[in-house]
Amino acid sequence: MTVGRIALLLAAATALEFLVGSSRYRAALPVDWLLVATAVVARSGDFTRAVLAGAAAGFIEDALSQQMFGMNAFAKAAIGYGLAIISVRIVFGGALAVGAALAAASLANDLIVGVLGFLLLQAPIVVASPDALWRAGATGLTLALLYSAEKFPWREWWQKRRLRRLR
Amino acid sequence: MRTTSSRTEVIGGRSRRGGAVLAAVLAVCVLLLSAQAPARNRASGTVLQSWILSAAAPLLSALSWISRGVTSAADSVSEVFSARKDNVALRTTLASREEELFRLRAELAQRQREETLAASAPSLPSVTVMAPVLLLERRSGFQSVLIGAGSTRGVVAGSPIAVPEGLVGRVVTVGRTVSRAQLLLDGLAAAGARIVRTGELGVVRGDGSGAMRLNNIPRTSTVKAGDAIESAGIDGIYPRGVPIGQVDAVSRGSSLFLEVRVKPSAPFSRLADVLVLAPSPAAIETPGGPRGERP
Repeated sequence: MTVGRIALLLAAATALEFLVGSSRYRAALPVDWLLVATAVVARSGDFTRAVLAGAAAGFIEDALSQQMFGMNAFAKAAIGYGLAIISVRIVFGGALAVGAALAAASLANDLIVGVLGFLLLQAPIVVASPDALWRAGATGLTLALLYSAEKFPWREWWQKRRLRRLR
Repeated sequence: MRTTSSRTEVIGGRSRRGGAVLAAVLAVCVLLLSAQAPARNRASGTVLQSWILSAAAPLLSALSWISRGVTSAADSVSEVFSARKDNVALRTTLASREEELFRLRAELAQRQREETLAASAPSLPSVTVMAPVLLLERRSGFQSVLIGAGSTRGVVAGSPIAVPEGLVGRVVTVGRTVSRAQLLLDGLAAAGARIVRTGELGVVRGDGSGAMRLNNIPRTSTVKAGDAIESAGIDGIYPRGVPIGQVDAVSRGSSLFLEVRVKPSAPFSRLADVLVLAPSPAAIETPGGPRGERP
């Protein structure tokens, strides 16, 4: 994946984060779009880019909504590396597996930020709250849907549809 | 076989290089975090964050404008469908409101006298500005909100924010046109609170998972579920008399104090606009400005 594409992906993720975040219906779709972008980069299997994309996504999140600069960058860089390992070394496929991996990554992100917050600010560690579980589920589901959409044979489907109409 | 082993070597090489990059990135993050940690009690977040908020403000406002446009269009469509049902409901409500009006008029004169008295209290909240919510972030106990108002509209660090239903939190980082506020639900947030019925004082703390706890209420207290909690104005940050929530459950733990769970009155997940209140005089007078993220 080229650097330009990664930049575009991160810009789109930030835009989606704010488009949903400023809506009243934000609670219905609490997707971590920046984590989705990190996972998309990590799926290409390039460790360096996955780590850097994760760090950039985390810095964006920290700059806009976290009280300490670097907590999400730390978490998302580590998660980018982890997801790159999963995509390269562990052979598993299917939308469900991809979604489950990202849901687990979302919870891991919360855990890392929680531990850093506890160590640096003595904040209580809150990991498996309903909000966090809902966001993890929504984030995993979103990537699973994107993965399914990417793998779906659109061309064959379209040709079959046309043939059916002609008959 | 050779192909497989060479592929494994390539992956191993990439993984090692990626590992080195990861170590470097994590080291940078740790350094950044360490540099900020001693400054966490500073007045208004980091200067860097303030600059970033100011720089990103036009983009955030544009995205918020688009999002609100889409939301209101969706609302308009759904309103057309529900208009008839709403009309019947409104007629019923109107009838009951008219009955209520007679009773309220009788109480009005007395209320006016009370308000005149209360208006002289210095800690009563005064609204500085109304601001749209741009982003609500809930991440592992940290709960914050970005609002579309900054120093150009008179927002200063330490300004409490509220909605008509109750207290929401306080501003911690101020940009030119965008500010970041810590919600009362944040794991590090706290506010001086009073049980309206009994008058007892305590400290409301966010538990980071969407609820709050009222601490320091002695076991002899008669507090019960349903009691209203309001800000006490004793913390030098929040004004007195703003609703915070209702007692959800009371349990007797092993400590000297009751464990009181509080259900917030402000609809935190559905915040659309917030009122930025004037900061408490105590917060402004504190050397170095208001206290940081830990009241």
